[in-house]
Amino acid sequence: MLDNLVLGFSTALSVENLLWCFVGVLVGTVIGVLPGLGSTTGVAVLLPLTLSLEPVTGLIMLAGIYYGSQYGGTITSVLISTPGEASSVVTTLDGYQMARQGRAGAALSIAAIGSFVAAIISLALLVALAPPFAEFALDFGPPEMLAVMILGLATIISFAGDNRVLGLLMALVGLLIATVGVDPGSGTSRFTFGSIYLLSGIPFVEVMIGLFAVGEVLYQIRQGAAAPIRAGFRELMISREDLRRSGGPILRGSFLGFLFGILPGAGSTLASFMAYGIEKRVSKRGKEFGTGAIEGVAAPEAANNAAANANFVPTLTLGIPGGATTAVLLGAFMIYGIQPGPLLFDEQPTLVWGLLASFFIGNVILLFLNLPLAPVFAQLLRVPYGYMYPLILLTSLVGAYSITNGMYSVWVVLVFGIIGYFMKRLDLPMAPLVLGLVLGPLFEKALVQTSAIGDGNLLIVFTRPLALAVMAIAILQVAAPTIMARLLRRRATPRSRRSDPADSTPEGSSRG
Amino acid sequence: MKRTRSAVLATTSVLALSLAACGGAESGGGSAAGGGEFTPRGDVTMIVPFGAGGGSDLAGRATATMIEAANADVNVNVENREGGSGAVGYSNFLGQAGDPETLLATETALLALPISGDVEFDYTDFTPIMKLGDDFTLMIVGADSPYQTCTDVVEAAKTERITAGISGITGLDNIVFTLTEQQAGVEFDRVPFESGGELTAALLGGQIDIASLNPGEIIGQLQAGEVKALCAYSEERYSDYEELADIPTAEEQGIDVAFAQFRGVLAPGGIDEAARQFWIETMQAAVETDEYQQYIEENYLQANTAAGDEFVEYLEGNNELLTQVLGG
Repeated sequence: MLDNLVLGFSTALSVENLLWCFVGVLVGTVIGVLPGLGSTTGVAVLLPLTLSLEPVTGLIMLAGIYYGSQYGGTITSVLISTPGEASSVVTTLDGYQMARQGRAGAALSIAAIGSFVAAIISLALLVALAPPFAEFALDFGPPEMLAVMILGLATIISFAGDNRVLGLLMALVGLLIATVGVDPGSGTSRFTFGSIYLLSGIPFVEVMIGLFAVGEVLYQIRQGAAAPIRAGFRELMISREDLRRSGGPILRGSFLGFLFGILPGAGSTLASFMAYGIEKRVSKRGKEFGTGAIEGVAAPEAANNAAANANFVPTLTLGIPGGATTAVLLGAFMIYGIQPGPLLFDEQPTLVWGLLASFFIGNVILLFLNLPLAPVFAQLLRVPYGYMYPLILLTSLVGAYSITNGMYSVWVVLVFGIIGYFMKRLDLPMAPLVLGLVLGPLFEKALVQTSAIGDGNLLIVFTRPLALAVMAIAILQVAAPTIMARLLRRRATPRSRRSDPADSTPEGSSRG
Repeated sequence: MKRTRSAVLATTSVLALSLAACGGAESGGGSAAGGGEFTPRGDVTMIVPFGAGGGSDLAGRATATMIEAANADVNVNVENREGGSGAVGYSNFLGQAGDPETLLATETALLALPISGDVEFDYTDFTPIMKLGDDFTLMIVGADSPYQTCTDVVEAAKTERITAGISGITGLDNIVFTLTEQQAGVEFDRVPFESGGELTAALLGGQIDIASLNPGEIIGQLQAGEVKALCAYSEERYSDYEELADIPTAEEQGIDVAFAQFRGVLAPGGIDEAARQFWIETMQAAVETDEYQQYIEENYLQANTAAGDEFVEYLEGNNELLTQVLGG
């Protein structure tokens, strides 16, 4: 394997490959920043431009766009509460609050560091253990995925805020919105009211831009123009205390993200939500989450980056795309005349190892690009909101238009912008709604498939060992806090530290 | 690359000859010759009714490249109008009636969507220009599956439960499975998935018994020996492709089912005859380019082309068959 790594680095470190790797991550960062323009579209649109390059060089650049955009998506989430990528929605929860307190620099820095550490950990796992992980991922059939989705739904409790019932209700609303469109089992259209636009459902990215970006602007306008944030340069830098607090969350987020990333279809968005939810449970500062806790930025950012890299496990070892963007990358392989599949490592060692080595290099470039730039980006918040608001609205709407080249996306953004405004006024939690919306289609698909495989019997979730294990973790996650609290109350020892036992259970679950 | 380029070239040069015979000897520059007064004003838009990166997108971009290669005066921009499994793109295209500077990269959704009843167009609302090729499917099982032929699967389905993964109700795989069921009087239990990649994972993980996949989707696994191809749902064997040539057709195994997803080009309805002729001639030149060859080979298509009225006839026949399968 060492030979392979040497081969990989000698390929990736050629001047041409280094240059295109840099171009890729830079373009990726910009694409991540622009709302609506996600990594999938970015890679697909720029793919034709790489055709004149050597295949390995072209793939290095395209992959750079992919993970570069994972970094970029964070910047606008933190600064203006506008997630550039679906997987950075969770980052807005604490990242934006940190920015409002003048700590945008620290939030962006920890996002860059967390993403970097996660990338290195997940790449090491990818290089060393990709084939066994791929085999493991194949064992996750529909019943196992159904269990994973139930685990995901169980996380909603963490996002519910103080009012648990309200949180669950919002999650239900999200699930309901997700039912619009063509039913995956029978092909019947539901709640489409004869509109062809509704056939493919209410689009998630547009809803997100509406709720978070437009909703926030409308809400702020009603409050009267907020004073621009004038933080000193020192406050913009990340402190030693920040780093100390973020270590655990980044590590846990990385491993969790990797596990979710190798499962085809589960994806980095779900990973970021799970990481946030678990961190909120584990952390001693769980109560501070949502008000600007740095852990709430570190964990999901590490998770979404680890998941993005882990997506390459099934992609490279099996030729099965781990997510939407890796599916486009697989298309790129074919265009270059390279057949992806189980033989790829044997037939194209230079290409595969060169690509893997470029991931390391690209992530180092991103770290050096993003760390010094974090305070600079944070300075953008000095711009008076009178100029900022129109700019946010404009980029949101143009971004929405660019998703499908049509006005439908713009209308969705506007409608959900107004909904977002009222949700903020009524103090309704948004994160559960978004999680419901993300999980809805995945949950339904797994449910329909499990029912089909079990010939109508859903109880196979409890008879297949792997599914049963995941279900057990899900049940623990819901029940553990209540049980623990009750046990503690019974003992009622005055010096019992409540955080300790709560620590152990969900931490265990992150490894499951 | 182990493909037999020469064999493909041989087939298509025969094809090219016959096309040249009926098309009126086009030699590359479409605008100058034959067709009449029409030349496109400004850039031409090629609408892809699906998202970037999918099979339809690849086809649309390849078509744009081959048109530009065939006629240097034409510049084609590709535009993705996704949504509703193609419904949004086709419906928008309906609104382009009479605009000869817009084309659409079409495939089986053109017929399947109207049958499902959610849209207001059908294929007669557009001007079919050229069918580019056929993408058939292979019946695939896991490497350790007990079945060796499609007949084995059908026989087994008479006594036991066979789970068939499909990529959607209007998917090509569901259509060939339904035709197989009607032929053999058996029933498969469907498990719905969303893409060829998901189906491949489910086959490898032993979650389903059979799937029906395009050669381009499964060739990697096939060559690695991770899956077996039992039969091809095509009229003829894939004799142009060395690595697929040994797979018998379903008909050879006593199951008379062959059905392809077609790829082609549409112009909007209501364009005048000169424009229609221009596009037919341009596309006839386009399918003789190296770019066309490359597209066909990379995607393991069968290069069965049909221009203008022939394409219309093909659509009529195909529509009848689809209505019978999906409408029932």
